[in-house]
Amino acid sequence: MPAAITRVRDLSFPELLRQIAATRLNVDYGAATLRVGSSIPAFVRVFHLVYGGFHARPTDAEFAEYHIQLKKGRGIRSVLRRQSRFLIDGVEPFEPFAAEGALPLFEWGVNWCFGQRANQYVLLHAGALALDDRAVIMAAPPGSGKGTLAAALMLRGSRLLSDEFGVLRPETGDLIPMLKPVALKNQSVEVIRSFSEDAVIGPLFTGTRKGDVAHLAPNDASVDAVHRPAQPKLVLFPTYESGARLDARRLPGEEAFARLAFNSFNYHLLGPVGFEAIARVIESCPAYHIRYSQFDEAIEWVQSRLEEGDAEA
Amino acid sequence: MSPPAGLARNILPLLRDAEHVRNMQLADWDDTIRLVRQARLLGTVAHRLRDQEGPWTALPTRVRGHLQAAINYSAYRVQLLRMEMRALDQALPGDLPVALLKGAAYLALDLPLARGRMPNDVDLLVRRTNIEAAEAALGSGGWKMEAKDPYDDRYYREWSHELPPMRYPGHALEVDLHHTIAPVTSRTRADDDLLFEGLQSLPGSRFLVLDPCDQIIHAAIHLFQDSDLHGQLRGLVDIDGLVRHHLSNDAQAWSRLVERAERHRADRVLWYALHYCRSWLGTPVPEGLALAPPPRWARRGMDWVFSRTCPPRIPDVAPSLGERLADTLGQLRYHRLRMPPALLARHFLHKTWVAVRTRAIAGARSAD
Repeated sequence: MPAAITRVRDLSFPELLRQIAATRLNVDYGAATLRVGSSIPAFVRVFHLVYGGFHARPTDAEFAEYHIQLKKGRGIRSVLRRQSRFLIDGVEPFEPFAAEGALPLFEWGVNWCFGQRANQYVLLHAGALALDDRAVIMAAPPGSGKGTLAAALMLRGSRLLSDEFGVLRPETGDLIPMLKPVALKNQSVEVIRSFSEDAVIGPLFTGTRKGDVAHLAPNDASVDAVHRPAQPKLVLFPTYESGARLDARRLPGEEAFARLAFNSFNYHLLGPVGFEAIARVIESCPAYHIRYSQFDEAIEWVQSRLEEGDAEA
Repeated sequence: MSPPAGLARNILPLLRDAEHVRNMQLADWDDTIRLVRQARLLGTVAHRLRDQEGPWTALPTRVRGHLQAAINYSAYRVQLLRMEMRALDQALPGDLPVALLKGAAYLALDLPLARGRMPNDVDLLVRRTNIEAAEAALGSGGWKMEAKDPYDDRYYREWSHELPPMRYPGHALEVDLHHTIAPVTSRTRADDDLLFEGLQSLPGSRFLVLDPCDQIIHAAIHLFQDSDLHGQLRGLVDIDGLVRHHLSNDAQAWSRLVERAERHRADRVLWYALHYCRSWLGTPVPEGLALAPPPRWARRGMDWVFSRTCPPRIPDVAPSLGERLADTLGQLRYHRLRMPPALLARHFLHKTWVAVRTRAIAGARSAD
């Protein structure tokens, strides 16, 4: 029996509020940790829920990759309408949001920081999940339902690494988690809610710049494995299509390479480092385009491919 | 004077000797990384640590990740700078003499200090008589002046030593076209004839660079005359790198530096630069240099201001009263050196009016 883990949900709301107000809470995403300070109760309330499984006292908490302040609006504008502002090292990359929207602002802000700064990794714009340490990379343009499929896979027992970033380590060729709450958009929210009773979903934020958004909390198994890398075994470009029968088409390497590389956040920046890392993935993994309408069919297809000792089947 | 405590703890020791990492715990890196990033020195520090196997492997993994990210990012910026220089080479007439300044020159000269340094712009120098030709060539090559109001445009053209920044649409780096190395309205002025006579050619390139001594003098002017002294640790690190590379123990080179600084009327700023380089970064500066020190009161004042304005700060922490006062003094000094009083008064009046007007418009908009 390992030492008991204190999770964020084990803290009382006032205790969590106190810790975040004092900038004493570290959030461990795996590929990065973040120290956040805020005194916006609406933020802490949603955080309490969608970060519930995260460890409240991660190891190595004396060092954080990013230092974030989530502040209330200021000046005459804040009197007229309460606002929230996202700051990293004094820089404010976005316009203020309404105060209630502090959590979506925080989530976008963290993605922005990670996408800007984590250039020691190749950052694929992709969801990543694993069975044991065998990982699938799911890359697709926004709106094609990769986040929804990632959520569904997690709710059926796959370990979620990330719904947004495939974090590839160029020196080892493996993937590491950048585990955040899954941002479910528009109809996906109801789809996932009715898909599983285990889904812990935060409040719906309507009318954000990406439509309606709600956040699915990562499950404890995924949280507990944020420092466990996984080996890429399968590359997938999924498309949800209403009424479609499951259809998988194997992609030639060069096409898969282009689709993976040119969707990455920092391929242009990394030069040969990015080229070699992505080429290695494509050489070692079969790539498929799949079309699906039934989650269970798609999940079974993905998981059986990951379970087969050789995904090449 | 001894360096400020915040810098002396880890940042200056790291810049002096990579082996210092062995004295650091993970917790020490939390604010060190933030401060070094603020100072725009993360790439520089990262390269220095990676170049020595011992310190690099002694680093905690997560710290090494940050530094590797900075190395990768600076390689990208350097690539952008090379591409911009190639494009500029094609756009500028071949018979027009053009010198590179600062970051672009350090890169073209392949100086050790260029490693990991992240350039924000390309600084070019042409003779004043050629500046219109150079501007026209860049204009027809596709570079555009960043949108500026007529006042700012006039400010640059009449009272500055450079044109408003230009940018090729879509390019990340700005191009600054200079015709000398110090603002033309400032009290000290560089000797342009000496400056241009000293230009040196680069093997395999159409671009020229300043005489090595003038590179040091330019960096000193840039730091101690043409800046408000705020967050300028990188400027000092540049000068340290230039001195170590160009001068070493050559007594003749040192007296040449002093002589050129006097002719450029930059002996005071050079004195300050060498003073802080030596006491903060351990730069080898010979004793008994024939450089007249500033009066005692000026030195005391500069020590007080510079030790508060130069170090990077954690942005989440409000600056102390002393730091804010030093910031204000640094700005006042900057403007006083840059412009005669009547012009300065006019400039402030204009800027205040613009600020008031902008705020009024923003206020009206947000009330909608």
